Amino acid sequence: MTEDSLEHFMDGNAAGSLLQEFFVLDATTAQIQCASCGFTEQVASLRLYAATMGAILRCIHCDCILLRATHTPHGRWLEMPHARYLRF
Amino acid sequence: MIEPAIAPQPRLEWQLAEVRAIVVETPRVKSLLLQVPAWQGHLPGQHVDIRLTAEDGYQAQRSYSIASPPEDALLTLTVERLDNGEVSPYLVDDVRVGDQFELRGPIGGYFVWTVATRGPLCLIAGGSGIAPLAAMLRHRARRKVRAPALLLYSSRSLEEVIYREELDTMARGDPNLRLVNTLTREQPDGWTGYRRRIDKAMLAEAIFAPEQNPKIFICGPTPLVEEASRFLVELGHPFPTIKTERFGPTGGLAP
Amino acid sequence: MPPGQYVTTDFPVLSAGPTPQIKVEDWTLALQLAGSLLGNWSWAEFEALPQTTIKTDIHCVTKWSKLDTTWRGVTFDDLLKGVGLAEPPTPYVMAHSDGGYTTNLPVADLINGRGMIVTRYEGLPIPPVHGGPARLFVPHLYFWKSGKWVRRLRFMEKDERGFWESLGYHNYGDPWKEQRYDGD
Repeated sequence: MTEDSLEHFMDGNAAGSLLQEFFVLDATTAQIQCASCGFTEQVASLRLYAATMGAILRCIHCDCILLRATHTPHGRWLEMPHARYLRF
Repeated sequence: MIEPAIAPQPRLEWQLAEVRAIVVETPRVKSLLLQVPAWQGHLPGQHVDIRLTAEDGYQAQRSYSIASPPEDALLTLTVERLDNGEVSPYLVDDVRVGDQFELRGPIGGYFVWTVATRGPLCLIAGGSGIAPLAAMLRHRARRKVRAPALLLYSSRSLEEVIYREELDTMARGDPNLRLVNTLTREQPDGWTGYRRRIDKAMLAEAIFAPEQNPKIFICGPTPLVEEASRFLVELGHPFPTIKTERFGPTGGLAP
Repeated sequence: MPPGQYVTTDFPVLSAGPTPQIKVEDWTLALQLAGSLLGNWSWAEFEALPQTTIKTDIHCVTKWSKLDTTWRGVTFDDLLKGVGLAEPPTPYVMAHSDGGYTTNLPVADLINGRGMIVTRYEGLPIPPVHGGPARLFVPHLYFWKSGKWVRRLRFMEKDERGFWESLGYHNYGDPWKEQRYDGD
């Protein structure tokens, strides 16, 4: 549990198995555009937070949440609040 | 060779992996060699999720890069023991040959390299971030490919260089493979190599120039990965040629 | 111990985003109702409010529990008193934090000492990674309800779901009923 206790974040690579539950194609290889700052980056290199509760993926440049997802016993949720598009 | 980005991904199912061998790599790092019965193969750089269930029912899930090449029959995970860790002390101190735990994968189509990819291969590792890059180098060695490759590897001390002998042997036998170590905290007497954290000057000196169009993979703790990535862009390496994987303090991709 | 929980001696950090680095000189806490500010405190003003110390257990939805943790801060009741209110003006509150995190609660779960804004953990200022300079503290619910880096408590007539509550987590979050997820 202390493995989470250092201030750090990982990246979209570590969200691979969760994202695989939503997308037919590998989302970590997709490009995603931030609607807030316009930057385009690969999902794999987004900063990943709160990985023990789901996945919060933030823009490297402006920290906006591009994608957030959870998998619960009652369903899966996916939101892309500040993403303009995903390109596979 | 299937391009992961356009092929539908197979459903990830948990399987039971059995520990067949344990290798002590350094005082804090061990490799677990696993038999996974229905394993379909993997690409160098991919990772797996593992799930451990304690006697009291508590479950912990972690992700680890596959350190073995696809040419190996057994899957290798390399784990660094974190003193206050929850999972790593168990994997490094308590696991025995014959133990089993759940595993699923392979996962990740982004941080992968195979010999089918053209161009010089440039690998930059910090600590246990060497694991997925070792899979790439081992795959390259098994396929006897001679395209230029370079590993810049940052470790705290010589004793903490994971796979040291194997990497040295690989480099000695392959004139197209260059191995550059930097030891950041402690260096042996007579050490003539780098003795500091990876910085822009080191990258400028040590690795391929942008004109050589290397494929670059950086793996390790977040600060190392983000700094190196930034320096490389400043040195003129195009952003799309740089792939990164940030490790948590476990030395794995903790979920 | 609530069902499904395991005791830890560590204090894991779980954040939905980067840790804000807030200087107390810049810190304020607001109570808000519709468009108006019911109350606003600077750090000095907040520290001058009646302080309460509590020792209790905390329970994270990711299954770790930490026993006998000591926190100090200001109760929600004392905040209301501080703005001259005998009772909360609406049935619900949304807690807003630096960095954008939100969590919603019925006021019934904040009054009568059930909720606080805390500034000290084990006698020392709360480190930023654990929510410092000040976080919400509602230990009878899962700890995601104890929003870190709290800056504003917004009174709401109707309940609205916060950050995790709108992504599949339980709207209320009682660990004793194991209300982890929406639908539990």
